Amino acid sequence: MSTIAETASRGQTRRRMRIDGWRWGGRVFLAFMLLYTALPMIWMLLTSIKSGFAAMQLPPQWWPDQPTLASYQKLLDPQNSVGQDFLRFFWNSLFVSTATTILSVIVAVPAAYAFSRFTFPGRNFLFFAVLLRNMFPAVIFLVPLFILMRAIGLVNTHGSLVLTYLTFGLPLAIWLLKGFYDNIPVQLEQAARIDGATRLQAFILIVMPLSAPGIIATAIYSFIGAWNEYIYAYTFLSKNEQLTLPVGIQRFFSENTTDFPGLMAASFMMSVPVVVLFLVLQRYFVRALTEGAVKH
Amino acid sequence: MTIVSGKTEVRQRLQPGWSGMLRKIWDHRADYAYVVPAIAVMLIVIAYPIYYTIELSFFNTPPGLQLRDKIFVGFDNYTAILTSEVFWKVTWNTLVWTFVSTFFSFVLGFAAALALHRDFIGRGVLRAILIIPWVISAVAASYIWKWIYHSDFGIIGAILVEFGLADRPPNFIDSVGTVLPSLIVVNIWREFPFAMIMMMAGLQTVPDQLLRAAKVDGANAWQRFWHVTFPHLRNVSTVTILLLAVANFNSFIIPWIMTGGGPSNASHIWITHIYELAFGRQRWGVASAYSVLLFLILMTLGYFYVRALSGNERKDDSA
Repeated sequence: MSTIAETASRGQTRRRMRIDGWRWGGRVFLAFMLLYTALPMIWMLLTSIKSGFAAMQLPPQWWPDQPTLASYQKLLDPQNSVGQDFLRFFWNSLFVSTATTILSVIVAVPAAYAFSRFTFPGRNFLFFAVLLRNMFPAVIFLVPLFILMRAIGLVNTHGSLVLTYLTFGLPLAIWLLKGFYDNIPVQLEQAARIDGATRLQAFILIVMPLSAPGIIATAIYSFIGAWNEYIYAYTFLSKNEQLTLPVGIQRFFSENTTDFPGLMAASFMMSVPVVVLFLVLQRYFVRALTEGAVKH
Repeated sequence: MTIVSGKTEVRQRLQPGWSGMLRKIWDHRADYAYVVPAIAVMLIVIAYPIYYTIELSFFNTPPGLQLRDKIFVGFDNYTAILTSEVFWKVTWNTLVWTFVSTFFSFVLGFAAALALHRDFIGRGVLRAILIIPWVISAVAASYIWKWIYHSDFGIIGAILVEFGLADRPPNFIDSVGTVLPSLIVVNIWREFPFAMIMMMAGLQTVPDQLLRAAKVDGANAWQRFWHVTFPHLRNVSTVTILLLAVANFNSFIIPWIMTGGGPSNASHIWITHIYELAFGRQRWGVASAYSVLLFLILMTLGYFYVRALSGNERKDDSA
């Protein structure tokens, strides 16, 4: 609908044949933002295909003279110790993020549905209490959580991470999903109830399929959050074989401070899964924010 | 929290008395089953830590001792913090960091959203590229920029030398004067896409009819923006700015990975400072007292956050 309006207004501008200063300003600005955003990433890629010697030159090789994939081979080769570590970190991250994602969907879906549909005493209080969790930094929770995890025997396990990630991902997950449920007409469920479905059946058979885009968006958000999380993983895990990617890479490169091509290659490969996931599913994500967070 | 519960009480006053309240809770007992898993997880991982932090802030925990050997010191930790020089330095850094990051992230993100609102060829690709910094890990971002700022082989320094603007590559993150602005540039790089997404989503809710009506009435682009678009986005803007402010206030990874707070505390902000006190120097008591102060500041911000959000809620109810 908006595209039609936009095409119409574009037609008008063209008819008037007037150079629109705002539009040119917008283009220049977008070009600037593109450079600001993309140049660091391009430089990361260019550095990652240089040799360690080629990366450390002044003036720099703007374009690598002898591009090499050596850094990537080293990181992905299970034969040497660097590759073994990197692949293990990668699997650890994948496991923790996937487990977090599945659990947060399971927990957030019923909660968001209840906040959207039912008016029980304390509903608003609980909803805002859940949202307030977003306000507090990880550091406040680190010490007590560390002690708590020690008490329930989860220190140095991936379980401690999944449990914590679950809680910091939940508020936004619930908020986004609530927006989706608010938009699903109650009449659909009422019709199902009249046809003899129980409330749970109506929820699972009618509401769940309709809110699939919201669930996908929530899942992406949880996954990306867990994949990129650093501070809890840095504090809770000490054994090398359990580290997740961000911490693993940081540990590794605090020992090998000059291997910048390797560091850039590792940063690139750490970013690939989340960027691909985001690009493939971004329309759900943007839509979830529109409906969940910004709707009037 | 009191503010929030006060709000709920207003709504519950419709049915006064404890017995009415209890009956109401009992009547809705099935509804709670849906929220119990979420609330239970939250209670374990949130309520207990908050309680423990407050308790610990009144104790002295000498390094090397076990936590159970803590000594009660009353408000000593708080007075020690408020009278220390580092506290004011770190607070100043945090304020600069939070305000500058939030302001530029929002302005750049909003402007990008406006520029991307009109359809053109390649809009989707451009939008996707602009969002990527927000998606990638802050650890990766820190390393990328650390390499860009590198004091010998950094690309910015090399460009400056190449164009004759500097004799030798400047020390961006190793000198007291430039470290904080340099880190803020990285932070904005990572944060503006969030503002952009939020404002893009908000822009879709501005009615086209109003904009066209304003155009017919002879309003120019700026007038249409200021009198039609912007008032519609007031709620989204408030929420976005608050979320950005809170996220920036709570930043940790970028300063921690890039400088660790140095040189000489020039890039320490509250969170990195608290982390260092607790896990670097094992001064749990002081760190907890810091956390409680932080908590109070955030509760104040949280009050506005909830107010902004419940502004949205009320509109929902009336719609």
